[in-house]
Amino acid sequence: MPTRTNEAWISDLGTPGPAREAALEDLRVIIQKGLPYALSRWLSPDQPQFNSLVEEVTQETLLRVLDQLGTFEGRSQFTTWVHKIAVRIALTELRRKRWRDSSLDELTENEDLPPPPGLLADSQASPETSAERADMLARVRRIIEEELTDRQRQALILLGVQDMPMEDAARKLKTNRNALYKLLHDARLRLKRRLSAEDISPNEVLTLFEHK
Amino acid sequence: MNLRAIIQKIRSNFNHHEELLNQTVLGFLRVLESVREEEVPCDEVYTKIDEYVEREVDKKDAAKLMPLVREHLDLCPECCEEYEDLLDILEKTSKDQK
Repeated sequence: MPTRTNEAWISDLGTPGPAREAALEDLRVIIQKGLPYALSRWLSPDQPQFNSLVEEVTQETLLRVLDQLGTFEGRSQFTTWVHKIAVRIALTELRRKRWRDSSLDELTENEDLPPPPGLLADSQASPETSAERADMLARVRRIIEEELTDRQRQALILLGVQDMPMEDAARKLKTNRNALYKLLHDARLRLKRRLSAEDISPNEVLTLFEHK
Repeated sequence: MNLRAIIQKIRSNFNHHEELLNQTVLGFLRVLESVREEEVPCDEVYTKIDEYVEREVDKKDAAKLMPLVREHLDLCPECCEEYEDLLDILEKTSKDQK
């Protein structure tokens, strides 16, 4: 495989013809060499869907690279930029699948299991500690209730309780991942300021739940 | 499971999902210490993450040079997953080439 500079990649991919075909073939090899390292953190390479996922993601990545060629700013090696696109495509699919599967499991497999023990129901904690924890959680919950907007609270439930992927939560809230991150950031800032105004340190609250 | 049990299960799941769990409240508190006024959104991190990861692989102290990206990665689990996977690819493919 020829070694290309960033400029050569852009030039070869930029115009239809044999040079583009050759560059796409080389990119396919590069993607398929790197992608399994990322996917194996999520799926075992022995699983039947592993190879088909590598193939699908590669195809989609090549299409997206051609589509977004004009947005490459040369901040990195061209191939690193391509790997980044492949990772985004693969993880979006894997997160969606993980969430779908876990939501389904919750409805079917765990039907006879008792609910998980709450943080307050710690049998080793003294009655004083339990009372202190309950009191602190009630204060923090009240602050969250007062400080967060309905939309911020809804986002927190989708992400923190339902474990929904950011992309899907953003779609459900009719926004995008960027705006959802901003929404959460604003929520965190509001909460941080209010806790500070009430002289509550997040670390102290957390420590209370770590020690018996 | 009969139909009534399924409906009950869905209802209880629905109610459970409308409440902020204690775990979620504590999880939210856990990241507050790292929250700064200044922040970069996911899109900007995505634009810079290839450069950031290359610096890291080249041992160029990426976190010091691009502190806002590092802070975002500490707060955003999904961007962090993408960062870790990209780092894995670059480290392992460069090892293969040696």
